Amino acid sequence: MREIVYDVFARKGRGDQLVHIGYVDAFDDETAKVYAWKTYDEENWFEMCVVERDAIIPVTNGEGHFAQLKRARDE
Amino acid sequence: MSDVLDLKTLDDAGRAALERLIVTLADSKRLMGIRYSDWLLGAPSIETGISASSMAQDEWGHARLLYSMLKDLDKDPVPYEHDRASEAYASVSVLDEEMPDWAALVAAMTLADGALSTVLRSFSEGTFETARSRVPKMLAEEEFHSSLGAAWYRRLADTDGEARELLTAATKSMLPSLLAWVGADDGAAHAMVDAGVIAPAAAEKLSLKYRHSKDAEVISAVGVGMALGWL
Repeated sequence: MREIVYDVFARKGRGDQLVHIGYVDAFDDETAKVYAWKTYDEENWFEMCVVERDAIIPVTNGEGHFAQLKRARDE
Repeated sequence: MSDVLDLKTLDDAGRAALERLIVTLADSKRLMGIRYSDWLLGAPSIETGISASSMAQDEWGHARLLYSMLKDLDKDPVPYEHDRASEAYASVSVLDEEMPDWAALVAAMTLADGALSTVLRSFSEGTFETARSRVPKMLAEEEFHSSLGAAWYRRLADTDGEARELLTAATKSMLPSLLAWVGADDGAAHAMVDAGVIAPAAAEKLSLKYRHSKDAEVISAVGVGMALGWL
């Protein structure tokens, strides 16, 4: 069964920036949520989200992390 | 339920029943943690192994919180936690043995952990004040266990081969004794219902709650609940 890459974003406090903290491989949104919460549990996060990597659209065409990943995927 | 139980009003049978309920829940949590820990290295993916590790820690934390409730009954929790032989454990029997395969662990995650949560939810809504203050956090953590169990249960149930057969066999093996435990109708269960420790005020309703829980919906994926006249 196909596994999907989900990128994990979180912020420590209410006023903090949402930052990319890593990724998990999961087979659906529910498992992605559990894997993310259980894997990146080093902080008492105020907010955590997961996003399917395929759904992220790089805005710049530079050497950014997601732009590179998209190029590799499209090749 | 708003009334708080005054433990001084419990007779000896009532105190024994409350002790038994706490120890059964605590022992079962400890065993559930061990069963998760058995799969730290054998889980199907790194993420699943990490989740199993985290859930094992959750369960052991829940067990410690539950054992500490014995202080309210003037019992020292330390001997319960550390000085008993395995034969003295009061845990649900489906957790006695190691899970032979991943499908069995998924069944235990859904059925056994789900049954424990059903009883704990009722415990948290009853008259025992310590349970009302401590159990809700456990139940919040259990939401992740339930989500993971349901997702894996559906995934294995959707296959055609050995995984589905193993899942079905494990479900058939675990369900009857768990249902009997959740819907216990003995003197101790009645004592807890009468004292309002377990809400709503009937063990039968508790059993129905389990039957109509999210876990029951998941189990219907392999048709076992239907076969046992459960759903």
